[in-house]
Amino acid sequence: MATITISRQLGSLGDEVAQAIAKRLDYRVVCRELINQAAIQCGSPEIALSVIDDLGLFGFRPSTKHRQAFFSVLNTVMEQYADEGNYVIVGRASQVILRARPDVFHVKVMAPIDVRASRLAAQQRIPYEAGLAQVTASDLTRRNYLLRYYHAKWDDPELYDIIVNTARLSPEQAACMVCEAIHKCLNQPFPRGTLPRI
Amino acid sequence: MIDADTQLAKKMNSQPKFSHQAEETFAKILDYYQIDWQYEPQTFPLDWDEAGNVIEAFAPDFYLPHQDLYVELTTLRPNLTTRKNRKIRKMKELYPNVNIKLFKRSDVRQLMVKYGLENEAKPISGNLAQRE
Repeated sequence: MATITISRQLGSLGDEVAQAIAKRLDYRVVCRELINQAAIQCGSPEIALSVIDDLGLFGFRPSTKHRQAFFSVLNTVMEQYADEGNYVIVGRASQVILRARPDVFHVKVMAPIDVRASRLAAQQRIPYEAGLAQVTASDLTRRNYLLRYYHAKWDDPELYDIIVNTARLSPEQAACMVCEAIHKCLNQPFPRGTLPRI
Repeated sequence: MIDADTQLAKKMNSQPKFSHQAEETFAKILDYYQIDWQYEPQTFPLDWDEAGNVIEAFAPDFYLPHQDLYVELTTLRPNLTTRKNRKIRKMKELYPNVNIKLFKRSDVRQLMVKYGLENEAKPISGNLAQRE
């Protein structure tokens, strides 16, 4: 019984890698529900919107008091998921909040910025420059989020057990590598039929 | 598997008729972040006459089911904001368990153009996107 955290860059296929890992391990992916749950529990559901808002489009700035309440509940909810185990937790500084736990494996999914911008441009049918603007804004928001609220550096390799570059790997291939690393690190037998295969 | 054109066509058919450009823009942002939303799904009575007829009611612009949150948008015109604030205050008194937030929408058009979202939204919204 373990928990995996996935930190990802916009356009890195991190969500797809998280889904592929969860499928291989028969785990459940949690991302938005974590935020929504914490925001509702702390009595400020609108904070969920500001946390999701990578590009700053909502323009909503919650008060410090509300933010503190949210982060406190978020930490508790995340710890509860980790206690239960068998979850892949995507984003929300999970690599920092759960960093001290030996039963949690931390993954970062990244790709070069031009690759990510091209992916977004293709997915959303937008110009490359617009894709690049999205990626740049998202990187800045996520970096600031970690620095401001957790005093951690997003690109600090010590926060992760493995860093996967998806420039030339499919989500499935990346998931396979991650599962192998989890197996070796946490020394857990894989559920039947989930042995890594490229 | 549903292709992008089919998804776009489905979206075009399911778009409600927004009463203001700010609402349409807000809906585009929600779509971009893949946040589920409903447009004016419920009306809350705020005042009744002696016969019990509703004489004042309030229908928030959006409901976000996963956040369990109603959102009311307003432009930055002070008279409009004051009136809506009053209604929201009244609503909170009458329905304390309902979460509602007033969003003051400033113009995010420039940001959306920068991020390519306005171009993406044009075929969805047709002539409405050309307004303002």
